[in-house]
Amino acid sequence: MYDFNYEKATSVDGAASTLSGADDGKFMAGGMTLLPTLKQRLAMPSDVIDLGGIPELVGITVDASSVTIGAMTPHAVVHASADVQKVIPALAKLAGLIGDPMVRNRGTIGGSISNNDPAADYPSAVVGLGATVYTTKREIAGDDFFTGMFETALEEDEIVTKVVFPIPEKAAYMKFPNPASRYAVVGTFVSQGPQGTRVAVTGAGPCVFRQSDMEAALTSSFAPESVENIKQDDEDMNSDIHASAEYRAHLVTIMAKRAVAEANG
Amino acid sequence: MIVEGQVHGGLVQGIGQALMENCEYDDQGQLITGSFNDYCLPRADDVPNFVVGTNEGAPCTHNPLGVKGCGEAGTIGAGAAVTNAVLDALGTRGIHDIDMPATSHKVWQALQQSNG
Repeated sequence: MYDFNYEKATSVDGAASTLSGADDGKFMAGGMTLLPTLKQRLAMPSDVIDLGGIPELVGITVDASSVTIGAMTPHAVVHASADVQKVIPALAKLAGLIGDPMVRNRGTIGGSISNNDPAADYPSAVVGLGATVYTTKREIAGDDFFTGMFETALEEDEIVTKVVFPIPEKAAYMKFPNPASRYAVVGTFVSQGPQGTRVAVTGAGPCVFRQSDMEAALTSSFAPESVENIKQDDEDMNSDIHASAEYRAHLVTIMAKRAVAEANG
Repeated sequence: MIVEGQVHGGLVQGIGQALMENCEYDDQGQLITGSFNDYCLPRADDVPNFVVGTNEGAPCTHNPLGVKGCGEAGTIGAGAAVTNAVLDALGTRGIHDIDMPATSHKVWQALQQSNG
């Protein structure tokens, strides 16, 4: 780890102005990606600005049509929330599948989506439920938020404040975890509700994406049989020691089929 | 209890070798499974509960206490037992050999290449 200045922000405005004044500042949410990166000397920011102590960024509220999760809410809190379990059980389940208990108690939804790791779980829920991401500057549709591998629509000094998930009629997340890291080799989030019929896939490609062939088939009939013969093109799939591009493409169909079955109860 | 615990550890090590653990190197000889984010070490939720039986009626005759090692016994049997089980399942598809570890990826690839 290289030397850096540490600042614990008490407000989002304060955090943004500290970043603007720094040579090469970096926001930290739970630090579950940033800290290992720093420890391995793969990054050398001049300043680390900790967002974890800003009270208004933490918490969950539920109304008749949506679930709002503050950006610094840890995965464990989302997983254990009786409100989330009641109205979007798929989202509570997804949060409980992230990493291990230590990661779930430190890692946050805002950090996860801002980092946009290609194998992170949360991006599939944001896109798969048609959520809206609120930042210090604007609101961004979930479909427009993730722009590429580790890339988002966020500007340099823009901070995610909350994510609003519309409550679906049915939804489910099915994940094939990496046996070592528990990141998603392939994770498929399906839903049907106010945002239409959605199939969002994470882990398989460089960035979360919607599987439009499956969405079309599920729109006419929301049943596992609708997707079981739809093959994912393996051209743009990730490939590593745990799974080849062909295997990932195969798993997209399997996970989608299982997710639809679970969503139907 | 110590003996059972040692056997549990040995079994998990053997199961890990049969299904998960592997050191992978890239073309330059760089180890790419250098952390537990990539090296698949089995954990408690990867294995079932075990029932261990012991036969204490045959003490070792070559030392005064009559003691024997016990941890490795689980390791040696587990790898063979699990790999045999995998091949038993794949036998109907004409697959009679698979290198450890038989990961889900490797099993899938073998099934893709089989004609069965």
